[in-house]
Amino acid sequence: MARPHIEPFVELNEGYKKFKIPGFVGADYKTLSLDVDNGACSLKVRMRDGFKRPPGLCYSDLEIFVLTGELNVGEEICREGHYIFLPAGMALEAMSAPKGCELIMMYNDSEPSFEESDANHKLALKEGFVSVNSYEDMPWAGGSIVSPSVATGVFLKLLRFDPLTEAMTFLYTMSPEFIQDNISYHDCAEESYHIWGESWMMQFGDLPTGGYFWRPSYINHGAFRSKLGCIALGRTDSKLHNYFHFNPWSNPDENKSRAAAFLYRQRPQLYKWVHMQGGHNHPHGQAEHVGAAPAPDDFENPEYVDHPQTKMLADQTCTFHEMDHLHDKDAIAAAHKFAHENGIAHGHDHSGADHTHDDDEY
Amino acid sequence: MTKHVQDEKPPMTKEAKAWMEEETAAQEVRYKAIVDELDGIADERATWIEEFLHNIQTRGFHVTGDTKRKIPDEEMPEKPARPDATRVIW
Repeated sequence: MARPHIEPFVELNEGYKKFKIPGFVGADYKTLSLDVDNGACSLKVRMRDGFKRPPGLCYSDLEIFVLTGELNVGEEICREGHYIFLPAGMALEAMSAPKGCELIMMYNDSEPSFEESDANHKLALKEGFVSVNSYEDMPWAGGSIVSPSVATGVFLKLLRFDPLTEAMTFLYTMSPEFIQDNISYHDCAEESYHIWGESWMMQFGDLPTGGYFWRPSYINHGAFRSKLGCIALGRTDSKLHNYFHFNPWSNPDENKSRAAAFLYRQRPQLYKWVHMQGGHNHPHGQAEHVGAAPAPDDFENPEYVDHPQTKMLADQTCTFHEMDHLHDKDAIAAAHKFAHENGIAHGHDHSGADHTHDDDEY
Repeated sequence: MTKHVQDEKPPMTKEAKAWMEEETAAQEVRYKAIVDELDGIADERATWIEEFLHNIQTRGFHVTGDTKRKIPDEEMPEKPARPDATRVIW
């Protein structure tokens, strides 16, 4: 599986650990979430007073957001609210934090790495580089950049948009006394860090300052409230569509099925073409790159399947936390058995022979 | 095949491997703590759900943006009998 469902996690309740990976000595960290397969992770990082690092690159796309203090990158002083997207392989100038700083650092492809270099890797997609002070140099926009949209009272600053996957990184606020009475889920994973303030969701309760979540796709969240308002850093790993509904008890498989029903209704010809009957499914393009799931040809982006983020998303197993891994094994076994006996979808497919269905083996 | 920087990533260092192992274990603990914490507020959440179901019938359900619709009795969902109906962490 990719990253598990971490929600809510309040990092302010945790202590920092010392970083021991080369290139990070002099910094401390807290892990917010980790992809246990490839090391992709989101961290809160504290660079201690006097932290210095020479120019260098890493082998993962990296996003940096300055929470407090000042981070010097070459001649530029990055203050609170500064956002950097550093494409994999692009060399960043020397970094220092004479008086220390706190950052959110998101390694999107693999574990934190550092290789000293003042030149870009030959394959670095340096045109993707972003460096902007999101507090000072970007205007707030209304929250209705997607439809169906959130209620009035949410404002956004779009920091980065990936044209291939439509993944987004954004700053958002909820106004005080914000209310939205619906339940939502998305096709994408969603991540958020509360820089300041609080919000509330019906499933998870309060998310205060320092609150964080990594929520895999198709998981219910909402209704929504914010008593005092909040400002947060948000991110999705692919296109965000708000599937709103009012059933508090639907599970991720039912939500996924409902999303597929949207496709059936809203793009019927595409749905029919993809899902042919009689053992001849379309498309039959670039299957060898992504295992069992065929990747359709795209005349505009013919080699998109090789894009690291596309590949990562396609390779994710999309199973939820393993049933036999939960704290209450008996309850999960009962749920699994009930699902089988009543024909209810329950979070894994049965096409493989990876487990038995004997009562003792649930 | 178009090569990307990520395809030329050197093998993980021993420090990084040790870090991954440590953080994977820590995340398991964190995940279980979250499950326990949210199980602990199950009764409170049941009242929140009750309130939500009341709100969408009286004030309305947010269809999109600020557009609201009051949900009639015949459209109201019923809590299913399956044991994972109240599960919120997946």
